[in-house]
Amino acid sequence: MRRKRFLVAVANHSFLIAAAIAFLAPFLFIMLTSLMTNEQALSSRFWPHPFAWHNFVDVFHEAPLGRWTFNTLEYSVLGTLGLLLSSVPVAYALARLRFRGRNLMFMIVLVALMLPPQVSVVPLYVMWAKLHLVGTLWPVILPNWFGDAFSIFLLRQFFLTIPEEYLDAARVDGLGELRVLSTVVVRLAKPAIAAVALFSFLYTFNDFFLPLLYTGENPHNWPLQIGLSQFRSLHQVQWNLTMAATLLVMAPVIVIFFLAQKAFVEGVTLTGVKG
Amino acid sequence: MLLLLAPWLVGFSVFFGYPIVMAVYLSLNHYDLLSPPRWVGLANYRYLFTIDPQVGTAVKNTLWLVAILVPAQVLFALGIALMLARARRGVGIFRTIFYLPALAPPVAATLGFVYILNPATGPVNALLGHLGISGPLWFQDPAWAKPSLVVLGLWGVGNTMVIFLAAVLDVPRHLYESAEIDGAGPWQRLRWVTLPSISPVILFAVVLGVIQALQYFTQAYVAANIASGQASQAADVTAASLGYPQDSTLFYPVLLYQHGFSDYQMGYASALSVVLLIVSFAVTLVIVVNSRRWVHHAGAIR
Amino acid sequence: MRRVVIAAAFAAVVGLAAATAAVGARQAGPTKLTVWVGWSAGKELVTFKKVAAEYDKAHADVTLDVVGGITDQKITAAIRAGNPPDVVSSFNSYDVGIYCGTGAWLDLKPYMAKSHISTSIFPKATMYYTQYNGTRCALPLLADTYGLYYNTALFKKAHITHPPRTISELTADAKKLTQRNPDGSLKVVGLDPFIGFYENVPERWAQAYGAKYIDSKGHAILANQPAWQKMMKWQKSLIDWYGYKNLVKFQAGLGDEFSASNGFETGKLAMNMDGEWRVAFIANEAPKLQYGTAPLPVDDAQPDLYGSGYINGTIIGLPKGGHNVDKAWQLVDYLTTNTHALAELTNGLKNVPSTSASAKSKEIVPNAHFETFIKIFNNARSSTSPIMASGQSYTNLVQTFWQNYQAKGSKSLGADLKKLDSQLDAQVKQAGGGNGGGGVP
Repeated sequence: MRRKRFLVAVANHSFLIAAAIAFLAPFLFIMLTSLMTNEQALSSRFWPHPFAWHNFVDVFHEAPLGRWTFNTLEYSVLGTLGLLLSSVPVAYALARLRFRGRNLMFMIVLVALMLPPQVSVVPLYVMWAKLHLVGTLWPVILPNWFGDAFSIFLLRQFFLTIPEEYLDAARVDGLGELRVLSTVVVRLAKPAIAAVALFSFLYTFNDFFLPLLYTGENPHNWPLQIGLSQFRSLHQVQWNLTMAATLLVMAPVIVIFFLAQKAFVEGVTLTGVKG
Repeated sequence: MLLLLAPWLVGFSVFFGYPIVMAVYLSLNHYDLLSPPRWVGLANYRYLFTIDPQVGTAVKNTLWLVAILVPAQVLFALGIALMLARARRGVGIFRTIFYLPALAPPVAATLGFVYILNPATGPVNALLGHLGISGPLWFQDPAWAKPSLVVLGLWGVGNTMVIFLAAVLDVPRHLYESAEIDGAGPWQRLRWVTLPSISPVILFAVVLGVIQALQYFTQAYVAANIASGQASQAADVTAASLGYPQDSTLFYPVLLYQHGFSDYQMGYASALSVVLLIVSFAVTLVIVVNSRRWVHHAGAIR
Repeated sequence: MRRVVIAAAFAAVVGLAAATAAVGARQAGPTKLTVWVGWSAGKELVTFKKVAAEYDKAHADVTLDVVGGITDQKITAAIRAGNPPDVVSSFNSYDVGIYCGTGAWLDLKPYMAKSHISTSIFPKATMYYTQYNGTRCALPLLADTYGLYYNTALFKKAHITHPPRTISELTADAKKLTQRNPDGSLKVVGLDPFIGFYENVPERWAQAYGAKYIDSKGHAILANQPAWQKMMKWQKSLIDWYGYKNLVKFQAGLGDEFSASNGFETGKLAMNMDGEWRVAFIANEAPKLQYGTAPLPVDDAQPDLYGSGYINGTIIGLPKGGHNVDKAWQLVDYLTTNTHALAELTNGLKNVPSTSASAKSKEIVPNAHFETFIKIFNNARSSTSPIMASGQSYTNLVQTFWQNYQAKGSKSLGADLKKLDSQLDAQVKQAGGGNGGGGVP
């Protein structure tokens, strides 16, 4: 019986190790290709020889990665800031305050979550075009300042877990509802807010469809993802440089993950389990 | 109080309510953003349902995703989560490894995979070649393009997997113990204890997956663009690469993009979006209503 | 205290006045014109920028900002979004039906009248593809034509003495020149006619078979002409000879068309159908390549087509919503009619000169390879594709159809082509255009 348990455990572990190798392999391939010369990348060699470390420098010469990064940061920072400032109050209202139609409002939030962006994209594009903002990143930044369904959902879930006693204590002390929110609640909800900020940053960093729509014709305002997808057209596929650029674009997210691991996992579980 | 809700109420009407109403209006017009909208009644819908040669393909492709990509991702994530739940050692490292690819930006991941799955120069086919297998043409073959996207999708199940893992680890010990006492083997414990306990999470993952399948755009666009070898010299008319190869990656959102932002037929694109709205709503409704049938809530488990 | 306040206010007013004057003076400076062009690869953008710089220096009242790598999509997006540049240029005429039909590009007739430019100074073919429904919204800025490039070293090795003139000769030569690896994959391909590969699109091969798209009323007539079926069946048989999967795999491993690893420049393609600009690319990137140029081989049944080729070309115009229309027009006038500018562009880009005057210019550096294409351009039977209200979607639909056919074949090609014809007509109607607006090319 014990031997059977042992064999099962070994089999389990072997599968996991094989799967782990399969999951890591693409990263390895990308890394190796980014260190090859163009001819080697076009052949089916595995191992670069010699290691062309200068590719990572060449990439900056070939494409305005600096400009793209700036655009991405502009989008991410302004977008996340707006998202937090607008979503926290809304989530609090939905979680705490007693008023009629609270549940209906929550249902509507959920429905909004489920809607594909493609449904609203044509009229919104027309609207932004009339405002002469097409070609800039404002059409993707500004909506974040009006609350985001997903963040509201997440924050509401967390706010629901804050014991009423804390809030009553603050109210008894004479704090108005707004002060209660900004002092007590925010402090208690720091992990949830951090998770939301992280998710928002990740989302804006990876966003492709809407930035493509609005900045596609204006290379000056391309964020990283758009620039990366167009990298090929700038320099007639040099696979080695394209892979180097790909790696550079993946890197910041992975670095942030390792630095903020706890917030990440907490945020992810917040979405699924308590749902 | 209302003040707190104000930003969201404004946002909701401007970015949600208004576009839907406007989309319906535009769908009944011919509009190209250069001249004012011209009323055409149901002409766009007639074209959509009877004449457009690509709509059928786009719908079929998107349904393919719902029927194959979503279950594949859910089952794969579940499988890994179950294996990880059993593992004694190194769970943290494994979890990190499996989660990492989910962090990769979709554009970067797609670019990487198009290279890796390049039939002539990519490492996968080279490896298969060493094993004596003649690898498929992956993104160059219309029969393999969607499966290639599935492979890409499986690489990124980290998010779902982590949620499943947390849910599996959350199942109360005593349920397993009482099942064991009743003589249940490992498969039976899985079927009668684990799965029912985590069924709300599975439902959540399925709903999320279906929603994402109905919006699937980025990976299809980037893969078709890169794999088709187009986008070298500007505007070299070796045709729209959308849907490469041979419309096999032409999903409904991609078709919408093509008609709205490549051909600038905004009226027709609005018609496409109205249909998408109705379908998404119906699909989510169906799933959620049917969920009662196989989602067990904590109290129901005996 | 009050004196201080008054003194401060006075200083502020003076300062403000000075600042306003300075700003005013700056605004009276040169007008900035943004020029969008398609060129980006190799030395092409550099060449255009040089010509633009000459204009810049000669005209103190304007400064030019040239942006390369522009696609039709970017142009339409900018115009519709209301923030277009001052001058736009596209590599081809496929969207002229949309540009002229919707007013996205301005009607140039009044401007041409003011500057006394007559259409007779331009080649007839270029005049067709820069207008739609009587509106001329573009002018040609150099033209393109297509022919056959062949590797003379590989020819010698295969004992082929002269370039093929008919399709059957082409097929035989292609098969002779093809080399395979021991595992059966392709090493060198004689000629790759795969639709979608490099410059292979239906309209360029259609020219070699004399196959027409539309009748005089603008209805699609692909099903009624035996030429289309003959052409497609030939092409498919050659692809099947290579092996469809082999060819796709071979193509995936080739360098990008406009990189220095271009398949023809690196000797992996023995023959290739390409445009006249390739001469410049080869001179810059692969000067040691031994090659020759000739007109594209034609249908055996129509030998008098030999010597002709498909014509298209870069077009230039003024977008709706631009701010400095008069100054922009002056630039367009210069670029399209000034013999010196055109000659310089011809030399650098090796594109076909688009006015009869510039074609005769002594500034043009003679080049034997390039001469072939000039002759093709001037051939009376060379033609271009029809200008349709649905723009690029028209040719895209035909291309997708052909790509499906070359992959899967068809039980009844005639019936499928009939369906394609009705789809094309419906698409044009959907685009809001009546048929036949562009006329027959």
